[in-house]
This record gives sequence, C-alpha cells and structure tokens, in this order.
Amino acid sequence: MLGFLQRRRAEHPRIAQIRQLVLFATLRPKELRIIDGLLYERRYLKGEIVFDQGEEGQALYVIVSGRVLICRPGDPVAEVLAEIPAGSLFGELALLWGAPRVAQVRAAEDCVLAALSRADFESLIDTHAAIASKIAMQLARDLGQKLGARYLAMESRPL
Amino acid sequence: MRLSYLASGPLVWLVTIAVTTLLLVASAKALWLVVPFLLAIILYYLMFPVVRRLVLAGVSRETAAALVAAGVALLAVGIMIPLLPWLAAQAITGEATFNRYLEGGRVLVDRTLATLESQFAFLRRMNFHAEMGKMATEFGETTVQRKLGEALLAAATWLPTVLLAPFFAFFLLRDGGVFAKLLASGVPNAFFERTIYMFDRVDSTARSYFQGLLKLTVVDTVCLGIGLLVVGVPNALVLALIAAVFQWIPVVGSVVGCVLVVLVAATEFPTNPWIVYATVGVFAFARLLDNFFFIPLTVGRSIRMHPMPTVLMVFIGGAVAGVPGLVLALPLAGVVSAVVGTVGGIIQDPRLRARHAFAKSLQRQRISADFQL
Repeated sequence: MLGFLQRRRAEHPRIAQIRQLVLFATLRPKELRIIDGLLYERRYLKGEIVFDQGEEGQALYVIVSGRVLICRPGDPVAEVLAEIPAGSLFGELALLWGAPRVAQVRAAEDCVLAALSRADFESLIDTHAAIASKIAMQLARDLGQKLGARYLAMESRPL
Repeated sequence: MRLSYLASGPLVWLVTIAVTTLLLVASAKALWLVVPFLLAIILYYLMFPVVRRLVLAGVSRETAAALVAAGVALLAVGIMIPLLPWLAAQAITGEATFNRYLEGGRVLVDRTLATLESQFAFLRRMNFHAEMGKMATEFGETTVQRKLGEALLAAATWLPTVLLAPFFAFFLLRDGGVFAKLLASGVPNAFFERTIYMFDRVDSTARSYFQGLLKLTVVDTVCLGIGLLVVGVPNALVLALIAAVFQWIPVVGSVVGCVLVVLVAATEFPTNPWIVYATVGVFAFARLLDNFFFIPLTVGRSIRMHPMPTVLMVFIGGAVAGVPGLVLALPLAGVVSAVVGTVGGIIQDPRLRARHAFAKSLQRQRISADFQL
C-alpha cells in the first residue's frame, strides 16, 4: 500500500556494509535503510571497554570491523572467554529481556561497532513488525548457535 | 532495575529545580522563540501518530512527515477560509462585544451582591454592595482592559514568530532521529548507553505529557460541553473547547476558562442567575473529575517526579516567566529531571568515570606513540 510514494535509490555503500552483518542479513534494501536510521556507529580503540559485567544493558552491538574479546574480570588480569569476529553480534540479552551484562566486552583491536538501542528495537516492534521479527529470528538463530557450541564444548570436556 | 541508572534524592531535586528555574528565566527573555517552539512540540506530538501510521504502511519517514505537515496546513487553511468573514466582523465589533460581556459580568456581580446584602444585615451595615460594586467596576474598566490591551499587543508581536511553529514541527517529525544520533555522536563511549537511555526517557516524558495534555483537552471539551449543553449555555462545545485549552495553564487556566464561560452565561441570561450558578457548578464538577480521574489517567504519570517539587515548579514557573512559565514548568521539569538524574548517575559511578579516563589515556598513548626516539 502507498508503495508509489517510496523513493527508489541506488544502494549506498553503508547499506551494503550493514547487509553483511549477520543480524540484518535477511532484510530487504528498504528495511536496511530504516535500520540504518536507527543504528549508532561507535569507534573503540584496542583495549577499550565496551561494557562491564553486571552493568545494565541498553543496546545490542554488531561488529562492523575489528574484533572484540568477551572477558571475565579478574585480579590482576581479566580471563578471556571468547573472541568475536567482524559481522557478529553481542549484548543481545540486554535487548531481549533487559538482563544485566553477563561478561565484560573490550576491543581486541581498533573496531567499529553498530549499536541498536533497546528503545529503538521496542519501537521497531510497533512500527515495523516485519523488520523486528526478522531481527528477532536472526537473534534466535545466533543464540541457538551459541547454545549449541556451548553444549558441544561441555560434552567434549573430560569428566 | 532501570531505576539504578538514575541518581535520586534531595540533591537531584534541588539541581532539577535550579536548572529548570534558570531555563524558565532564560525562556522568559526569549518568548518569541519559546512560544513557537512549544506550539511546535504540541503539533509534533499531535501529528506523530499519523506519521507513524504512514510509516507503518510503507511510506518513508521524510515523505510521511511532508504529507502530514501539508495535510495539517491544508486543514488549517480549510478551517480559516469560512471563518474569515466571521473573524473580520469580530475584529470590527470586538470592543463592543467585549464590553457587552463585561457589562453582563458586572450586572451579575451587582445582583449577587444585592441579594447577599438583602440576606445578611452585617453586610448592609458595611455598605458591602456599594463598596464591592465600585471595586468591581474599577477592576473591569481599568485592570482588565489594560491587561487585555497588553495581551493583544503581545499576541500581535508574537504572531509572525508563531507561524514558525509548523516549520519546527515538520523538521522535528522528519529529522528527530537524526538530531538524537548527532548528539549521541559527541558522547564518550563510556557514557554512551546512559545517554541513549536518557534520550529515551526524555522523549517518553515529553511524549506522554503532551499527548496526555491533548487527550485531556478532548475529554474536558466533551465533559464540559455536555454539562453546558444540559444547562442551556449557547455555543456550549466551542466554549468548552476554549475553556479546555485554557486548562493547559496550570492553576490560572481553569479560573480564566470558568470566568469566560460565566461571563457568556451572565450576558445571555441576564434575568436568570440560576443558569450562571449552574454553569459554575458544571465547572466545579468537571474540575473534580479532572483532579480525581482524568489528570491521573492522562498527564499524571508522565512527569515521574514527586508531587512536592512538581507543585513548587509550577509556582516558580509562574513567578519567573508568567503564563508561558506556567505552561512550560511541568514538561521542562520532567525533561530536566531525566537529564539531571542521568548525569548524576554518571557522576556517582566511579567505574564509568574510570573507564572514560582509561579510554582517554589510550587515545593519548596513540597520539603520542611516535614522540619518543
């Protein structure tokens, strides 16, 4: 409906970049433009903390470039639990049920992150249910993969 | 859990009141800008649901904003064209009409005082009727006419700037999200999540206040309109709408709205004071409904501040910035409270400040990496 009012544009390089991110891989160009309007781009230096364990989360992050480390804070050094590459996402629990951050995340190298705030995601559910459901589906897949990987790791651990 | 993000307590109250007062003082100096901006915000929240429906139907936000703004402009022109002859006639006979209603009010006061004096002997001994009648006449002939003249002059001065309101509203509708992103881009990484939470809180406070105010206006118009229709006051719905818009001004607005309708009733029914008393009764009943049901259901919860500083802010607003101060005090206090709470939360969180200092030291190391040989 009212499709004749929608503008036709050539795909912007930034839209092409967002399409590469796993969370938005299933979105159509028009939907990607809407998402582009909601994402905050943040730049972090190597070693900089993105968020701390136990902090109240307000956003989900997708790694546009670079890598981040998932850490458990320790004295004197933090224990690295995992390394997440470009294109992946983290901090999704804050978006889904406002849970406190379960680990610390810091930049493994200089990186660019795209942040989607919980408030914007919630308004997306009201205004663009199709986009929100596609993102929610990708989130569920990502969580499923993470759970599967954890299960396999537990199974392979010697008793 | 969300509350842990915000600082609270007497210091936050004091800072909120101080900052809001300063902003109100500043706004009193720039009313030519504040009034159209306030109208723009009200227009924005009026048009926002329609824009959202269009976006939901697949229209881009820019096009939806342009379509809705154009629609509202056409609607305004459509309403104004048939009203122009009537307005022109009112402009010519305005002073005569005003004096007629003022005279109606004077007659009502005169009769009420005479009735009171005939009932109570001590009032007769005080020569109450003559004294009060003289004061009422002086008030009507000097104070009201002077104040009205000043108000009309101020309105004439502001009228060109008020025309800016639709433009502000259009750009808020079209680029509101861009402004938020622009502001967030200047915030250090350590405080980023707090900032987007603050944006959400500021937006939800302002949205729920102004949309609540508009809902309250509709409910008040319907309730008052029905009451005045039952009593038999002419143009009941128009008068109810005017009185409901006056309710936007806390404390003073409801009195002004009531006086306006009472003057009309007193002029239209000069021989039947019971209609006037019934009109006052309708107003009192509508106020009770407002205070106990409608305000708590509409604007009541939007400010999220303790009632004590809220009431204090209304009086401070009126004292430092007059009528615009009364209108602005509550939404401004709500927004300032969200900002002060967030900033207070950051100041009280040493870990966040340490993270910011660490990020700055990383940046310094990067910049000065090639300084040493």
